[in-house]
This record gives sequence, structure tokens and C-alpha cells, in this order.
Amino acid sequence: MDQEKKTLGFYAHIYKMILLQDLKSKMSYRADFIISTIGMLFTNISGFVAFWILFQSFPDIKGWNYYEMLFLYGFSMLAMTPVQCFFDNNWNLSRALRTGDFIKYCFRPVNLFFYFISEVFDVKGLGQFAFGIGTVIYAWNKLALPLTFANIAWLIIGVLSASLFMIALMNFAAATGFWLIGATSVMIFMFKFKDYARYPVTIFNRAFQFVFTFLIPIGFMAYYPSLYLIRPEHLSVLTYLTPFFGVLFFYLSYRFWMRGAKQYTGTGS
Amino acid sequence: MSAVHGILSRMKQDLALVRGSIMEGLVFRTSTFASIIGNLIYLVIIYFLWKAIYDSSPTDTVNGMTFYDAMVYLVLASAMFNFLNNFVVWDLGRGYQSGEIVEFLVKPIDYQRYLFWGTSGNSIVTFLITFLPTFFAVYFITHGSFSLGINLVFFAVSVVLAVAINFCMDFFVGTICFYTQSIWGVNIMKEVVISLLSGATIPLAFFPEQLRKIVDFLPFQAIYHTPLHLLTGEGLVISDYMKAIGVQLLWAFVMLFISKAFWKRSLKALTINGG
Repeated sequence: MDQEKKTLGFYAHIYKMILLQDLKSKMSYRADFIISTIGMLFTNISGFVAFWILFQSFPDIKGWNYYEMLFLYGFSMLAMTPVQCFFDNNWNLSRALRTGDFIKYCFRPVNLFFYFISEVFDVKGLGQFAFGIGTVIYAWNKLALPLTFANIAWLIIGVLSASLFMIALMNFAAATGFWLIGATSVMIFMFKFKDYARYPVTIFNRAFQFVFTFLIPIGFMAYYPSLYLIRPEHLSVLTYLTPFFGVLFFYLSYRFWMRGAKQYTGTGS
Repeated sequence: MSAVHGILSRMKQDLALVRGSIMEGLVFRTSTFASIIGNLIYLVIIYFLWKAIYDSSPTDTVNGMTFYDAMVYLVLASAMFNFLNNFVVWDLGRGYQSGEIVEFLVKPIDYQRYLFWGTSGNSIVTFLITFLPTFFAVYFITHGSFSLGINLVFFAVSVVLAVAINFCMDFFVGTICFYTQSIWGVNIMKEVVISLLSGATIPLAFFPEQLRKIVDFLPFQAIYHTPLHLLTGEGLVISDYMKAIGVQLLWAFVMLFISKAFWKRSLKALTINGG
């Protein structure tokens, strides 16, 4: 098949087919699905409770009140949903490389990265998505943010762009597995950053603001895109650059991943 | 005479397990490196977060803690996390799902004891290579914000009890996996509950009174809060130390009993596919 013929429609069709197979196999472990979803909710609620406890003793954090912090938290949960739901197979990459299973992906006439990633859809991310929506709506109400078309549109664009940053970080982390043994620990390390995305970047000093904006871009996972909605008077140019940086960062991680995959030689068996 | 002999041979078994797991712990892996860097970044973030929190407060002392007190507490808590963290839940859950657990059940050693000593070496190594350096770094950077006296003795005892309570809790939760098909979900619930209710993420001093009262009656505070309180608390007298250690001892026995009883019960119901 020609490269040109593989249109978006072609990939969407394949994705649907693979997804249905995955869901079928997941249905045979229903208890696991339910318990994992509850476990996911536990982590989300504990973040909520932690903020609540802190704000019992402190009125605000550097000018950020309870509801603004909750908004950032809800936003970051929404932004973490795509990486959780659609890109979870990255966690299996290093095992697939070690056992040699990875070679099967190399012989299909579809994009290697697409095929590998599409194999798993992680359902428990949906619980986080629901909780994130709830948190954003709650904070939105309490902050009395105007419900305009522009705001809603930006929320959607902002969340999608922000999600690209975490996806990219995890791609980079997983792809280290093409060269390193122990890539899982690199992934655990990177995955932790999702917990730090919920804080305003302004709490850091200048040096670390730079680090968390351009080197490890956690500032884009909630703070910069949220400014448009909760602090329109303090907009940063970075707010508008979020979608562009997101796409760029994702593209770089994709190239890195593919470069690793190209030099994979199998296990020899 | 034979009783003494029995104890000695048990201790020999335990020591062999400890030695083996220390060797395992000493192998330097990518994971060690990643976790050290990860810790440093975590510390940077909580430093700025708590600094921002305290900058916004009208008073220097909140709930009896200054910024320094809170930092010392949180830094040491994260250092403790490294040697309290183990994979017992995963070992049990995976062992059950794959059926490999049977291999251990036929061996002439109690599985709980085997796992405890088998993971102890890793705790000892992590204690030496991450906790101790952090401890001294904090002590010198803060110009001795906690005293080095009798509190160290009680802290040491308290840490050992914390490790025991934590292990029994993990063992209990690991056994739950026999019934649930789910390891990840069960494990994450345990992690979340312990890290919040033990005071590892936010010192218990900041908890609202009602919540604090509930938390004080739960075993989780015996894991992080008690040792750290005994180490850094000011104006503690011997009876305070004894009382805290007493409560921990009580929890250690309760958790040991519960985890053992649950394990025995579950083994009776254990069925593993042949093959």
C-alpha cells in the first residue's frame, strides 16, 4: 500500500478495530477495572483533600486562593487523561523490547508508533476525567467565571494542548528503553511530574521557573493555559504559545521514539 | 537446650535472607539513579511550595511549626519513604496470579517471615545510602534544628517499629489481591491512604482538629508521624517517648496478628490452577 493512501480515515478505522479488541479482553477482568477506577479516584480525592487541609491553615498561596488552586488541579487532571487513556502502552515498551515481542510491530504496514500505542486503551483514565470535569465545574462556579463561547473553546484547546506535554514526556521516557535497561524507573520519574503540574509556576524562583517552563515543561500542563480563564489580566505570551509548543514537543518526542525504534535489532531469537 | 537450638537456627535462616537481600540492594541500578534525581526534584518543589505557603501567612509559626520545622519534617519524611517503600503487595499479587507462590508455600519457612527478611536488606541499604546522608545534611544545613540526644535512641526504636507496621500493612493488602484480580488498584489505594493519613505529605499538625482526632486512632500515623515527632519534637520528656513507642508497639502487634490471621484464612481458600 502506498504511503499516501494511509489517510486519517484509514488510521481512525484501524484504531477503532484495535480498541474494540482491547476492550473485549478487558471485559474479562471486570473486577480489576472497577477496583482500578476506584484506586484512581482515591488519588484524585487525596489531592483535593490535601488542598483542603492546607487552606484550613493558610488563606492563600502567593495570592492564589483555594478555588483557583482547585481549578489548576482540575485542569491538570483533565490534561492527564489522554496520556492515561491512549498512551498507556508506553509502560509495556521496555518489556516488549526485552522479550523480543516488539519485533511484531515492525512488520506491519502501518506507522510503528501508532500501532504500538493504539494497542492499549486504559479505561481507568475515564474516572480521572470525570473527577477532573467535576473539579473544574465546581471551581468555575465558585470563581464566577463567565460562561462564554471563547472560554469554553479555550478550555478545550488548552486541555488538549496541555495534554501533549505529558504525552511527550512519557514518550521520551519510554523511548530511553531502546538504549537503556531500567527505562521503567525513568518513566516512574517522569510520571511524577503530573503531580507537580497543579501548582502555579510563580511559586518558584526565576531559575526554576525557567526549568519548569522550557526544560521540564510542567508549567504548560495547567498553569499557562489556565491563566486565560482565571487570570485574564495577567496573561503571558506563553499562554498563547501553549498549543504550538505542545505540538512541537510532541513531534520531537515522536521523532526520538522512532529513532530508537529504527535501531532496534531484536533479541536474536 | 533444643529450644535454644531452634531459635539459633531460625536466626541463621533470617540472617541468610538479610545477607542475600543486602547484596541485591547494593547492585547499583538505573532505578537508584532515577530515584535519587526524582527525590531532589521533589524536594525542590516542596521547598518552593511551602515557602510560598509560609510567605502568604501573616505569622512565622503556623500550628506550632515554622517554615524550617515543616521543611525538616517533610525532607526527612521523603527520605523515610525510600526505605519504607517495598514491593510486597506486588510480590504477593503477582505470585498469586502466576501461581508461583506455591513454590514458597512448600518450603519449610513461614512466607511472611521469608518476605520480611528478604526485603529487609533493601531497607537497610537504602537507610544507609539515602536516609543517613539526608539526615546529616538537614542537621548541618539547619544548624542543628533538632537535638542529637536521647531522642535518637527512641527514634531508632520507633523507625524499626514503623518498618514492621508498614510491612504488616503491605502484607495484609497484598493478601487482599488474592480476592480482587487487581494489584494496581489495591496498591494505589494503600499508597494514597498511607501517604495522606500518616502525615508523610502534610504534617499532621496542619490537620483540622476533628480530622486529627480520627487520624490519631488509626495505625497510619505510627509509620511516619511518630518517628519524626520523636526525632524533631521539642520539649518531649521520657514519658512522652514511652507513650508513643507503646502505641506503636500496640499497632505492631495488632497488625502482625491481623495480617497473619488473614493470610492463614486466605491460604485455606487458595486455589491455583494446575499446570
